[in-house]
Amino acid sequence: MICAFIGIDSGSEVLQALVNGVINGCGYGLLAVGFALILSVTGRFHFAYALTYALAAFLAAVLERVYGLPFAPAAAAGLATAAVAGVACDTVVYRPLSDRAGSGAMLAVFVASLGIVIAGENALSLAWGPGPRNLTGIGSHSISVAGATLTTLDVVSVVVSVALSGGLWLLLSRSGFGRQIKAVRANAQMSTAIGIDVARVHTAVFAIGSLVGGVAALLYALKYAASPDMGENAVFYALIVTFLAVSSSSPLRLLAVGVGVALVERVASIWLSPQLSTGVVFVLLLAFLSHRSLRLALGGRSLSFNLARRRTIRGAAG
Amino acid sequence: MTYWIDVLDQALIFAVFALSLNLLMGFAGQVSIAHGAFGAIGGYLAGYLAQEHGWAFGPALAIGVAAALVLGLIVSLPALRLAGEYLILLTLAIQIITLVVITSISALGGLTGLSALPGISLFGSTLLTPQDFLKLLVPIALAVFLLMRRVAGSPAGRVLRGIREDELATQSLGKDVFAYKSQVFALTAGLAGLGGVLLAYYNGVVAPGMFGFSVSMTVIVMVILGGSANLYGTLVGTALVVASGPFFQKAIKLSVDKSSLAQLVAYGVALVAVLRWRPQGIVPEGATPSALLRRMRPGGGMRVAGAAEQARGARVVAIGSGQPALALEARALSKSFGGIRAVEGLDLSLERGRITGLIGPNGAGKTTVFNLLTGALKPDHGTVVLGGRDITGLPPHLIARAGMVRSFQDVRTFGRLTVLENVMMGVAGQRGERMRVVLSPLPLRTGDRRTRDRALEWLDFVGLAQRADEPAGSLAFGEQKLVALARVLATEAEVLLLDEPASGIDRRWSDHMIEHIARLPEAGRTVCIVEHNLDVVQRLAHRICFMHEGSVTAEGTMAELSRQERLQEAYFGPVG
Repeated sequence: MICAFIGIDSGSEVLQALVNGVINGCGYGLLAVGFALILSVTGRFHFAYALTYALAAFLAAVLERVYGLPFAPAAAAGLATAAVAGVACDTVVYRPLSDRAGSGAMLAVFVASLGIVIAGENALSLAWGPGPRNLTGIGSHSISVAGATLTTLDVVSVVVSVALSGGLWLLLSRSGFGRQIKAVRANAQMSTAIGIDVARVHTAVFAIGSLVGGVAALLYALKYAASPDMGENAVFYALIVTFLAVSSSSPLRLLAVGVGVALVERVASIWLSPQLSTGVVFVLLLAFLSHRSLRLALGGRSLSFNLARRRTIRGAAG
Repeated sequence: MTYWIDVLDQALIFAVFALSLNLLMGFAGQVSIAHGAFGAIGGYLAGYLAQEHGWAFGPALAIGVAAALVLGLIVSLPALRLAGEYLILLTLAIQIITLVVITSISALGGLTGLSALPGISLFGSTLLTPQDFLKLLVPIALAVFLLMRRVAGSPAGRVLRGIREDELATQSLGKDVFAYKSQVFALTAGLAGLGGVLLAYYNGVVAPGMFGFSVSMTVIVMVILGGSANLYGTLVGTALVVASGPFFQKAIKLSVDKSSLAQLVAYGVALVAVLRWRPQGIVPEGATPSALLRRMRPGGGMRVAGAAEQARGARVVAIGSGQPALALEARALSKSFGGIRAVEGLDLSLERGRITGLIGPNGAGKTTVFNLLTGALKPDHGTVVLGGRDITGLPPHLIARAGMVRSFQDVRTFGRLTVLENVMMGVAGQRGERMRVVLSPLPLRTGDRRTRDRALEWLDFVGLAQRADEPAGSLAFGEQKLVALARVLATEAEVLLLDEPASGIDRRWSDHMIEHIARLPEAGRTVCIVEHNLDVVQRLAHRICFMHEGSVTAEGTMAELSRQERLQEAYFGPVG
């Protein structure tokens, strides 16, 4: 009765939506983990994350389908290419740009990374065609849990997402190198002063971030397919989750926010067309930004996100 | 031939998008990746009205443009306070949401859009071929170019460039930064709507793909490639991007599919290369055909107005007569940040026509006081009265217009504006400084020449008239401080708050600076300076206020203050 009133056929539909939400959400979260690491530590608005993401999955699919490689080496090659491409973005393009552009660095880096995405995606299409390609590596069959249907692949991707995020969290909080990364994130200048090689940390962060994003791409491609432009939507989600998670780039928190975003999207899709329910998460982002703008207008000067702090530090240094 | 005219038509339509985006991004420094969405609003609305309700081209175009303009105005409201990555995100969200909403409306054709739109009748004949469309597109693109050139070249355009360089400094000179930002956002959104309408009619269809994220990116490429803040550059950038497709098709003989991919690869690479090696773009800011001609002609030096002294004398009388003895009175001002009380119960008064020094140890709250007085921060308690008028809580630009202007410790000159333009920004009451005046057809040149003469007088006053045409950012730090002083003087505000005017510059410049500041009271100005160098304060200030832990704890002449233990303690550590 109540179910009919709010437009739901049965309780199991809700359960299915929740399960799908958690599965998709782990994917969104993992995407954001890589993106947020790069953004918070290096301060670069790395839109070309879309390209490294697509490279990992699309190259793996091409190697598997066109050149007949087994899944494991194909995936490894895809991931390695993504990591190299990510590092190259920083060392070849962003670093020289931001060294020169000073206060306008954020915009210059963003526009340059748009250029990288445009060129890269279309080069991939030119080389192997724009169409989607399947990646088959891991076999999958569907299972039923308490009335909700999911696949073994879904289980694998949730486990991998949680394990990777947890692993990264451990790396950041327990290892010496992780502490160096966190030091650079807090204050790059002070880090230099105490002898941390900031350029090396940036390189490592771009490599790690691209690898994490690459794994997310492989998981996505295993479930659906890989195409050269698959990264655009992915980077949108990475952006939304990263900014909704504010001030934090803790991998586990990002994962949680990712699940939250996907749940909102899934639950919305019960009432809305799939087309409109994609829009819902952007409305969420819009609401968040408007709220932030309002708070600034009312004189609250707490710029909690890391970038704001980083910029004042840089600005104060002249 | 028709093939190339088709390319020209497309370039003209995209020029409308790119010219307007350049005003927003290149001149005003505001990023938008929602240009495609604003085009979609215009294109879809006009297409729908024409197809379903049989509207003629003219009214459909007007409604399409108006709708995009209104949406732009609405979007600009949350955008006003956001900068950098947040503005990118906001416009991205608008781009995506707009297209999601449009494609989910079945009356607008969902994912396929509307096709077979009716043609345009112009002067009794219907536009059919690309040649016919030139009759429409050439005048429209030209009109948009001239409009953008007028805005960019007007005093309002100078303010937009000021906002790009430094919002806070622009606001401190009495400009309503938020109004400019929302107006320029709305104007450019409306023009993107115009581009969308033209695109729809030219193709005879509207579809989501015509206005997607990649279209927004393409327009950004045109602007950056051609040259940010140069409208001629935008024409070049647009032509290059639009013509690159046919180039790959005709010259390299790629198939249609491959050539469009190759085109995208090419301009992606070109974008990165330009940013990396020629960030100013193909045609740099400030380069115009007439500037090129001028450079080829000899002579044409700087003309310094001769009547400078006389003009200043006249203003002294205007400023100084029949007013109360206190120019500024602040009572019981308090401000806390979280748990820290930066300023607490501060009383400060500035006597008319005198120089007051505000001194105190680091962290005493001196700069916070300036921020409270000028409205950059709102006080938690207390009142500020300027010339008998309560100005507590007014926004910075209104306080500046009411007659109190500040300078900044870190100068905040507009680096890419010339020295002269920096000072011109300060001149109050310029005609054509508001956007709406720019959009009317009245001539602005005479007024701007007057502004220019005034600014030159002030530059002459600080001894920098010879450097008027150099970019302010290329001057030495000490010279930039003088430019900032001239800029503040040019506002003709009666009360000047100078934040460390002589610090961080070498002796030669600081002597120069002190000399200028010392002459200000003669001209009827009331001055308050914050300065660390007690020698400078002693030479300048008639009266000194000593600040400690957020309030004024002592005041008097330097001789009186130096006898007080507390001051010595604060500066030199505990006595004895």
